[in-house]
Amino acid sequence: MSFSFPSGKRLVVMIPAYNEEASLARVIQNVREAIPFADIVVINDGSHDKTKSVGRESGAHVVNLPFNLGIGSAMQTGFLFARDNGYDFAIQVDGDGQHDPREIEVILTPLINGEADVIAGARYIEDRGYITPLPRRVGIIILSSIISLAVRRRVTDPTSGFRASNRKAIEYCAGDYPYDYPEPESVVQFFKAGLKMREVPVTMNPRYGGQSSITPLRSFYYMVKVILAIMIDLLRDTPRIR
Amino acid sequence: MADRLTLSITIGAVTLFVIILELVRRKKLEEQYSLLWLGAAISLIILAASRNWWDTLIISIGVTYPPTALFIAGFVAMIMILLYFSTIITKLTQQNRQAAQQLGLLEWKLHELEKRLSRLPKS
Repeated sequence: MSFSFPSGKRLVVMIPAYNEEASLARVIQNVREAIPFADIVVINDGSHDKTKSVGRESGAHVVNLPFNLGIGSAMQTGFLFARDNGYDFAIQVDGDGQHDPREIEVILTPLINGEADVIAGARYIEDRGYITPLPRRVGIIILSSIISLAVRRRVTDPTSGFRASNRKAIEYCAGDYPYDYPEPESVVQFFKAGLKMREVPVTMNPRYGGQSSITPLRSFYYMVKVILAIMIDLLRDTPRIR
Repeated sequence: MADRLTLSITIGAVTLFVIILELVRRKKLEEQYSLLWLGAAISLIILAASRNWWDTLIISIGVTYPPTALFIAGFVAMIMILLYFSTIITKLTQQNRQAAQQLGLLEWKLHELEKRLSRLPKS
């Protein structure tokens, strides 16, 4: 352990998984090696493969959704789990191995130090050789420009789902979290709710296996849906939390 | 001629009204959702009964052929009903989602309790 975790505080790592039997066991093992003191909850989002049993055999808590709800609702289920079981900090890690559990420390440390309510691992703050296909890169630039304007500060990687949240953010997300393609929209929601978000540079891996939830065909829908959702969020009265 | 048309519209509207009431009676349609349809049937009946008045109104707003106006009114009513259904689907989706989330969380809790129970010494 190269950093100190406050004693008496509880940490949960939330892994949403949809048909991730190929990579899940490895992800869980890596998380456990990186932060042995954390509890792990897998949210099985109606998988058709052995995700549920792989999760249980790996010793994680498994919350089994009866059918596929989409990544946002699966994530919200994780936040409900964290809220109801009294966790102080929650970390989101993808089930496909894109997020390196050894980097959890990087996003957890500023959170523990109280620098923000949500810390997001961002790919593009520093050039670390992460190759993104050009169309997606362009999409992310458009999105991050719109979002940066909306929240009045620079957000470089609004699609990153590698995040750490404190209790305040856990409670907010358990109550209100976007249903699909949640990450960019939640950045705007955090801003409207008065939650402070900060980005720190991380390295991301290529996927271990399985399919990305974003195929080229869905990209256009993704952009339109997310931009519309952000515009509507800006028009909405969100209760600020204190 | 006009009287025959009035009669057919009235018969159609009354049939619609009876079908809706029957669906509600058999609990195939919730009262809440039947109101819109009953409203539509009643307006049809009123429309049929007051065709002279309707025709005058339509011609006075610049439509030369009254049946066109009927189609437009029907189209607008359909759009409103479909929009209303979309809001109902949205509500059902939200409730469905919450039910699924709670089911998952309860199943986890049950699994934990069963694990703890199996560790207890058998009495």
